Amino acid sequence: MAFVNLQNVTYQYPLTKSPVLQDITLQIEEGEFVAIIGPNGAGKSTLCYALGGFVPHFFKGEFSGMVEVAGKKSSDATLDEWVLTVGLAFQNPFNQISGAKYTVFEEIAFGLENTGVPREEMKSRVEQAMAQTGITDLSDRSPYTLSGGQQQRVALTSILVMQPRLLVLDEPTSQLDPIGTREVFGVIRAMAERGMTVVMAEHKMEWIAQFADRVIALKDGATLLEGTPQEVLTSDLLTENGFGISRYTSVAREARRRKRWRADVPLPVTLDQAAEGFAFTPPS
Amino acid sequence: MHERLSFHIKRDSALHRLNPLTKIFLVLALILVAFLNPWYWTPHLLVLIAITPLSLLARVGAEYFRAAARLILPAVGFLFLMQAFFQPVGEEILFQFYFLDVTRESLMFAFSNAMRIFVMVSAFTLFLLTTHPSELMSDLTRRGLPGQFSYVIISTLQILPQIQARAQTTIAAQRSRGLETEGHFIKRAGSLIPLVGPLVLGSLVEVEERAIAIEARGFTSKSLKTSLHDIPDSSIDKALRWALAVIAILSITLKLWLS
Ligand SMILES: Nc1ncnc2c1ncn2[C@@H]1O[C@H](COP(=O)(O)OP(=O)(O)OP(=O)(O)O)[C@@H](O)[C@H]1O
Ligand SMILES: [Mg+2]
Repeated sequence: MAFVNLQNVTYQYPLTKSPVLQDITLQIEEGEFVAIIGPNGAGKSTLCYALGGFVPHFFKGEFSGMVEVAGKKSSDATLDEWVLTVGLAFQNPFNQISGAKYTVFEEIAFGLENTGVPREEMKSRVEQAMAQTGITDLSDRSPYTLSGGQQQRVALTSILVMQPRLLVLDEPTSQLDPIGTREVFGVIRAMAERGMTVVMAEHKMEWIAQFADRVIALKDGATLLEGTPQEVLTSDLLTENGFGISRYTSVAREARRRKRWRADVPLPVTLDQAAEGFAFTPPS
Repeated sequence: MHERLSFHIKRDSALHRLNPLTKIFLVLALILVAFLNPWYWTPHLLVLIAITPLSLLARVGAEYFRAAARLILPAVGFLFLMQAFFQPVGEEILFQFYFLDVTRESLMFAFSNAMRIFVMVSAFTLFLLTTHPSELMSDLTRRGLPGQFSYVIISTLQILPQIQARAQTTIAAQRSRGLETEGHFIKRAGSLIPLVGPLVLGSLVEVEERAIAIEARGFTSKSLKTSLHDIPDSSIDKALRWALAVIAILSITLKLWLS
């Protein structure tokens, strides 16, 4: 039995006319790092809500199918129980601060206070999580005065610190610069190595290719493709369906069309793969 | 935007270390004594022998005097003038100001009233200067105040500057699209209407996002909550609270007995 198990999940918001998620079936193993890609409006955030229990517990509307994590069904649990197993960091970091705390340290401790973690353990967990995501120096700042990227890291840390078994991240690097993005991907990869299961909605293909185990491409609320980053991210179906793709892939595809990329070398997603591929392609 | 959203000044002092509830008792006792004690000079004496020394003890003297000079004195001074001029008591006219008579009695009365208000506001200021809002709320929550209640209070305290900032952004955005926000009063009032929509709708969307965000962090969890800060409540605190309660009860009984 897979750790995360979605069976025929279909969902429609109260005000939408057609389903936003259509018959999604999906299995994820424990410790796996899965990326979800898709154009704007594909339903990535909604799928994250379904994993996090907010669909159907918070957002009403028509829900059918089953979401199961660690052997429990989301429809059988209450939301406050579910968030202990599944931690969700939302797409917009600006409204994720609790609004009741005066420093970043207190902000990150908020979830632990709510769930009754003893004080000493709370402090060491907060310190450890802040060190992991590299925000120790923000400790005494007011959460309201941080930059977008800093707020995003605080939001991620606030969920990480709760040590959920499934971590769901909705575009956690949208506000981050390239260095920040690399760091966050590194942290999340390390979490997955230690057995945390990660699902991440993300647009940055090059990073997905380097860090994720599996990629799911969503289109209009349905699974279009599923497989290893290499298979999915270089598929011709992506461009045909309006997905953004890595610039290295598009350059190599153009080179292949002009016979400057060997037909037996798979298309690249990252800079390294592209450089290697071009090196092996003899100029004609 | 403001980095500091509270009055609290972080220092190490005996007053800072007192339990928030003890400080509330202290403020209430000071106010009761100032208002109920029959002796004319009580409020003045309280300022001299209690509030001012306490502010020095708490090592917030400079901040306290600044607040007193900039905020409290002007407000209390205004009250004093109003009462001195418009209180129709007493015979002994000291001087006249157009048609208004200022008597010795009205002056005395206004002065003591102003001092009472001064005691009340400055005691409260001292409380805010030495008590961190989240410490106060954690302590009250621990004593049984519902968590939702303290959340609402603290987040409101913090959110006011946010709403202000948002109003500013909305105005800037709409002005850049040609909306009049300056000029004649009526025109300006009329141009406020298009600001309301984005402000209210924006806040509503924000409330929903905020609600799911705190939900994701176990806000409605049924487990017993813990608190990051250890809020001291020593035997000195308890003894002080008893003493202050006795003082408060004594001033009430004295007042009732004399009247
Ligand atoms: N609260 C809501 N109520 C009604 N409809 C919604 C709501 N949230 C999203 N939708 C609709 O559901 C569809 C999927 O939205 P979703 O936010 O899941 O997309 P997404 O893949 O996350 O897009 P993006 O890349 O822009 O974040 C969209 O058509 C959107 O308009
Ligand atoms: Mg989204």
